[in-house]
Amino acid sequence: MSGLVWLSRRETLRVSKLWTQTVLAPVISSILFIVVFGLSLGGRIRGGVNGVDYDVFIVPGLITMAMVQAAYANNSASIFQARFDRYIHDVLSAPMHPWQMTLGYTVGGAFRASAIGGSLLILSIPLVGAPVERPFALIVAVLLALVLFSSLGTVVGIYAETWDHTTFISNIVILPLAFLGGTFYSVDRLPAPWHELSHVNPLFYLVDAVRFGFLGQSDVPIWLSLGVVAALALPAYLWAQYLFSSGKRLKD
Amino acid sequence: MFRDDAAALQLRGLTKRYDDGTLAIEDFDLEIPAGSFFGLLGPNGAGKTTLISAVCNLIRVTAGEMLVFGEPARSLTARSWIGLAEQDINLDRFLTVRETLVYHGGYFGMGRDEAEQRAEEMIDVFGLREKRDVRAPKLSGGQRRRLLLARALMHRPRLVILDEPTAGVDVELRLELWRYIRRLHAEGTTILLTTHYLEEAEQLCEEIALIQHGRLIARDSAQGLRDHFGVERLHDVYVKAMQVS
Repeated sequence: MSGLVWLSRRETLRVSKLWTQTVLAPVISSILFIVVFGLSLGGRIRGGVNGVDYDVFIVPGLITMAMVQAAYANNSASIFQARFDRYIHDVLSAPMHPWQMTLGYTVGGAFRASAIGGSLLILSIPLVGAPVERPFALIVAVLLALVLFSSLGTVVGIYAETWDHTTFISNIVILPLAFLGGTFYSVDRLPAPWHELSHVNPLFYLVDAVRFGFLGQSDVPIWLSLGVVAALALPAYLWAQYLFSSGKRLKD
Repeated sequence: MFRDDAAALQLRGLTKRYDDGTLAIEDFDLEIPAGSFFGLLGPNGAGKTTLISAVCNLIRVTAGEMLVFGEPARSLTARSWIGLAEQDINLDRFLTVRETLVYHGGYFGMGRDEAEQRAEEMIDVFGLREKRDVRAPKLSGGQRRRLLLARALMHRPRLVILDEPTAGVDVELRLELWRYIRRLHAEGTTILLTTHYLEEAEQLCEEIALIQHGRLIARDSAQGLRDHFGVERLHDVYVKAMQVS
């Protein structure tokens, strides 16, 4: 277990050393979203969304968006850098099981995302009075999200040939899906076919599950949201595990 | 279990074909006795680094068997017995000198206290005390090379693999590294060294293997090779052997 513990520590140390870049910057940008969109525009949306003040309504989605982007970016960057500089050889040659490598890197992504999520939660409570109505559901949703996006980051970090490949997925896939997944609005209010199309977006289920954890209300049943996210998280994690087990893309 | 009577490294029928079809090593057999100082010589692309990478779990082999002190090279036990200093400087850019050593020790199963203590010891041995809290990218070329070697030796491996450890270093540091490697060998550590410097192989190695195109051409002591090829200098052995093959 020593290898797993030290790899996890190395990944969290990296996040801590680069805290202004890895934690502070995403926290500031999310808080700006809450202030600009929530507090300035929120007052113009009468009755809020589904009876919830708009500035409170957008908090779960913004926290989700910041966390999943951080989990993904952390692992894709850390592993790509380790491959690029070849210091990943220190890990690959060590007496560690592949599952320990997969889990060790996942811990890094989860740590960074949790630091961001925790900071945003602490700041948003006094700022807009965001409640946590269903903490258990919130914890399960966040855990699944961390596994899904840390694993996705691991996979992309292993496959990527250039830095552009890692940022491409973040900018072209994750960010738009998060925006279109109901971060700033209730999908229930969309007209057809946007309402139906939103239900194909996996980020919609994640945002909805996290929103349920915060507000106690959601567009679709919580078990469906958690089921969809779990159905994506498991194969993503197994894919990352397969890459470490087989050595594909990591070992020539 | 560590076996005293087993060869430090035993390769049988080792073959590596890369995905692009390049055959780097073909049906390669090699046995390195425990406690020996073994040199591997060959031109660029001969398969030296491929062979080392195969032993250290850094590439997927196509066929063959690899044993380290009688244990399959892929096993966790065998991996804990190997220390590798690669040809290219591959140090973690986010870690300081001390952290590089401590984390490596952790990856290789050392406890925190043991790793911290050993790291301080290695820092002194390799003259890195002043750079203890400096990150790898801020070190000079020679300091990085020293740290690379210190990292390879951090977990007290029984088989140390040095892939061109003195490539690009000045004469002073080269002699310093030679002294340390010799001392290590005198303490019973098996050493596998690849180098382009023939005088380095002659000075350090008890036995030398010449390889080209992924095949073993000759293997003997430096004197044995000179006698076999009927020449006076190892340089001439090398030239002749490469021409013959």
